[in-house]
Amino acid sequence: MSHLHIPDGILPPVLWIAGLVLTGLLLAWSGPAVVKGGPRLIAYQSALGGIMLAVMALPVPITAFDYCMTLAGPVGVLLGPAPVFQVSFVVTLILALLGQGGFTVVGLNTLVLGLGAMLARPLYLRTAGALGPARATALATAASQLASTLGWVLLLALSVRLTPAVTGEHDFARGLFQVVRGAGALVVIPLLLAAVAIESLLGYGLVRFLDRVRPDLLPTPPASRAPGPVPSAT
Amino acid sequence: MSNTFAQIDHIASAGTTPWHSASAAGKLLMALTYVALAVFTPSWGVLAMLLVTLFTILATARIPWRLILAAAATPFLFSLIFVLAHLRGDWDELLVLFMRPMVASFTAVWLVCTTPYPDLFAPFSRILPRGVGDGLFLTYRALFALTARVERMGSALRLRGAMAAPLPQRFGMLGEAVGTVVLSGFDRSHRLYQTMQLRGHSGRVCGCRHWLEITRDDFWVALTILWALVVSVTLWHLRTT
Repeated sequence: MSHLHIPDGILPPVLWIAGLVLTGLLLAWSGPAVVKGGPRLIAYQSALGGIMLAVMALPVPITAFDYCMTLAGPVGVLLGPAPVFQVSFVVTLILALLGQGGFTVVGLNTLVLGLGAMLARPLYLRTAGALGPARATALATAASQLASTLGWVLLLALSVRLTPAVTGEHDFARGLFQVVRGAGALVVIPLLLAAVAIESLLGYGLVRFLDRVRPDLLPTPPASRAPGPVPSAT
Repeated sequence: MSNTFAQIDHIASAGTTPWHSASAAGKLLMALTYVALAVFTPSWGVLAMLLVTLFTILATARIPWRLILAAAATPFLFSLIFVLAHLRGDWDELLVLFMRPMVASFTAVWLVCTTPYPDLFAPFSRILPRGVGDGLFLTYRALFALTARVERMGSALRLRGAMAAPLPQRFGMLGEAVGTVVLSGFDRSHRLYQTMQLRGHSGRVCGCRHWLEITRDDFWVALTILWALVVSVTLWHLRTT
């Protein structure tokens, strides 16, 4: 629910062009922030981007379904807003080259994945003092996942509204919304909650482990210690 | 998925057809032309001809059919959903809705299966901010080692019965297991950074210049672009009513 697997030619051009422009602007904004971190930050970003892609390839069995994790929330906590947006773009572009989502949808996918992930660290920093790193990451991951899902739903609703009136198009949209509002809510909402819970539990486990073995990799709230852009590798 | 990554990477680097020998710049231009035509043309005739052309190109590039089908599965599914949603529409509307994503997806498969990743990413790295351009190269490089590690980790968890635990415990354990991969990834990135420094890294991964080297085989790429343009002009009138 944090990645649109929609191929090219389906969404209205005004939507994906706006997505590409907005992504370009955010990438331009994030550039200087990341350059300050130096080449080591770029290497760290790449490692976490590679892990995101690798983890996406690992299906997690939930009863009869397989769920693909994204790790966007925990990676957002570890990297911070500007670097994680860049990582989201790189991951989305590589996925598009492999046929997972179209080229034209790269901007929208980056926004859906990246904007959620960008929320994770600020939320973590606000709550880590009170909740501890692992629970704060779980909370930040849940918020990140919900934000991405909201973006995903908004984009789909916008695309239906902006699509030129093709025969049956709006009947389908109306039917879809009726299904979601009715019996669909019984399926969609539990699935959404399950996805949020899975990502949060993963983030919880990941940060609990890092807190035990390499606490220097975790960002620290400003009150306790000035956070460094990239942890040392000793 | 990791097997697909590896297979694509191998075919792109080891292929010997004229499509593999052509310059990445030409192939990117061709991909851009085909995707733009797929997205903007209202004509089912143009899309049908582009689809036939792409099948020919994929066959002559000797790309395994299993790989083509795997890459086309997601767009096929989405196209089918949209076609089913428009069953009351005209037949030409259904054709356009089905063929648009298929043309774009087959173009992507052809591009990644005939172009090694340094050549494919080099032009992107010229127009993207420095961190993003470098990230493309390094993420792709890191991907194979990390994917293998994640798969080994998944097998180990299954073999040791971690997947039989209650759900909350299962995902907590998975998170801790992913933590080991994050640590390994971080150490790996640090070693990579040190290696780059030792080799005189100037602060930017530039990519090679092969992507701009025009070869004799670019004739076929130019011909295919020209063919697409001629088809578009000739068949543009076969459009949805």
